[in-house]
Amino acid sequence: MATKILSVDDSRTIRMIVGRTFKPYDCQICEAGNGEEGLAAAAREKPDLIILDVTMPVMDGVTMLGKLKEDPALKTIPVIMLTAESGRENVLQIAKLGVRDYLVKPFKEEQLIEKAGRIVTLQKKPAA
Amino acid sequence: MSQTVQLPNVCEFMTRHLVDVFDTMLAMPAALVPNAALPHFEERITGSVGFAGDTVTGAVYLHLSTPFANRVSAAMLGLPPEEAVGENDVNDVVGEATNMLTGGLKSWLCDAGANCAVSTPAIIRGAFAVEAMPDVAREFLVFESGAERVIVEIHIKLN
Repeated sequence: MATKILSVDDSRTIRMIVGRTFKPYDCQICEAGNGEEGLAAAAREKPDLIILDVTMPVMDGVTMLGKLKEDPALKTIPVIMLTAESGRENVLQIAKLGVRDYLVKPFKEEQLIEKAGRIVTLQKKPAA
Repeated sequence: MSQTVQLPNVCEFMTRHLVDVFDTMLAMPAALVPNAALPHFEERITGSVGFAGDTVTGAVYLHLSTPFANRVSAAMLGLPPEEAVGENDVNDVVGEATNMLTGGLKSWLCDAGANCAVSTPAIIRGAFAVEAMPDVAREFLVFESGAERVIVEIHIKLN
């Protein structure tokens, strides 16, 4: 069964990069454009992993993560935070909220694969 | 606190950071052109992200010519260089690149003790100049990427 990954980012560009990154693997990618949509998508899709941006309109990633951790049905879904902010305070804040890992933008696609591969099974698709 | 928040240090950090963003996300070289005259773009696309805190406020503007913004967008989206990219996608790529630049600056400022928050990106299209507010220091960093020029404009006020 394909690994289900939810990409939550207000930037379509980043969602496309995430989708492209996992394309060689047996993954199903779902998308949401902000934290509010992300929570709804997480409840609906029950992903194996969430790749979550921090700064977003409507509901930011930190708020979404907090709500996710309060929900008994969703709190065990592992989250990788994707952030443009690498400052110590920011990293400490998101670490306290229980993320499994974080990745600072700009990032290389192989870094995302490496971090995701430590959390979920990434099976390469057979060559066509 | 490992660095001092002064304009030359901010510029030095932003120079390194732009080169990193171009290399990592676009696989494109970029190099600072010292003492460069500001290029005149007939039409440009500018991404802007503001930042504000108790001791520091300002904004970062990333200016690209319209054709180069299209090439940058194609590179980030994994498309052939000359493929036309839709306006919304170009806006999103330029906004995201500006967000990465300013997010890096925010982290640098916070680590220096100048805590601040950043805005979401905005895009401006046209041939124009950005006015600096009174008491706000402004610096232009001009970069070369192949035959193209990239301008990073930094507005910063230290309270």
